Amino acid sequence: MPDINKKLKQATVAIAGLGGLGSTVAMALARANIGRLIIADFDKVEISNLNRQQYFLDQVGQEKVAALTANLLRINPELKITGYQQKLTEENIPKLFADADVIAECFDKADQKQMIVQTVLAKMEKAVIVSASGLAGYGSSNQILTRRISKRLILVGDNQSGIDTGLPLTAPRVWIAASQQANAIIEILIDEIIK
Amino acid sequence: MNTLKINGSERQFPDGTPGTLADLLKKLNVKAETVVAEIDGQIIERDRFSATKLTEGQKIELVRFVPGG
Repeated sequence: MPDINKKLKQATVAIAGLGGLGSTVAMALARANIGRLIIADFDKVEISNLNRQQYFLDQVGQEKVAALTANLLRINPELKITGYQQKLTEENIPKLFADADVIAECFDKADQKQMIVQTVLAKMEKAVIVSASGLAGYGSSNQILTRRISKRLILVGDNQSGIDTGLPLTAPRVWIAASQQANAIIEILIDEIIK
Repeated sequence: MNTLKINGSERQFPDGTPGTLADLLKKLNVKAETVVAEIDGQIIERDRFSATKLTEGQKIELVRFVPGG
């Protein structure tokens, strides 16, 4: 295989939100030997997160950025991690994620997903954003798709299964979406971004 | 003819093309705060939805987000 590891080693990926999607995207990319991750979340680990997020019981109460950093470095001590334990906004995203080749949108709320996708497309010049919408519930694995909406926007999900309809979030279905996000990120880094 | 290409499919509006992007979203019954819109490949920010006039034949991509992550 031509230089895939070398290319991924040069890449920087930002992950916005470190819940079920974000913590899982981070794990996948750390194991794929990505060079650098920028991770951001304002939250702490709660016991209710453990049904699908990549934290451990003894990390409940810790800040997510610190907890996930520790877990990622146990897998891959060479990984460079920049962490922001803060809320992401229209104003700070272009600055905090300025170095990112690709941004993974891993928020929970629909209006926050809208905010970051719009911000990246309107206020940043190059970064590609890989977003997720429609991953609640269980089953229907093959309804979750990866679609290229436009040059800088890739969308993963079934586009309709939201938690607003009363569906629960289950680890396998969230992980299918997160894995598709990570897989799309790797593909675009290797095929389009890293020369 | 009152046609817009929305998410890859041609859509007819017999009563006339919606005047603005905001009108279109209303017609489709989707909340603006959960939608990212591109017209002919150009991102339209949400605060410009009601000022963005639509014209015959435009290609519109609407990405509607549902919660969960």
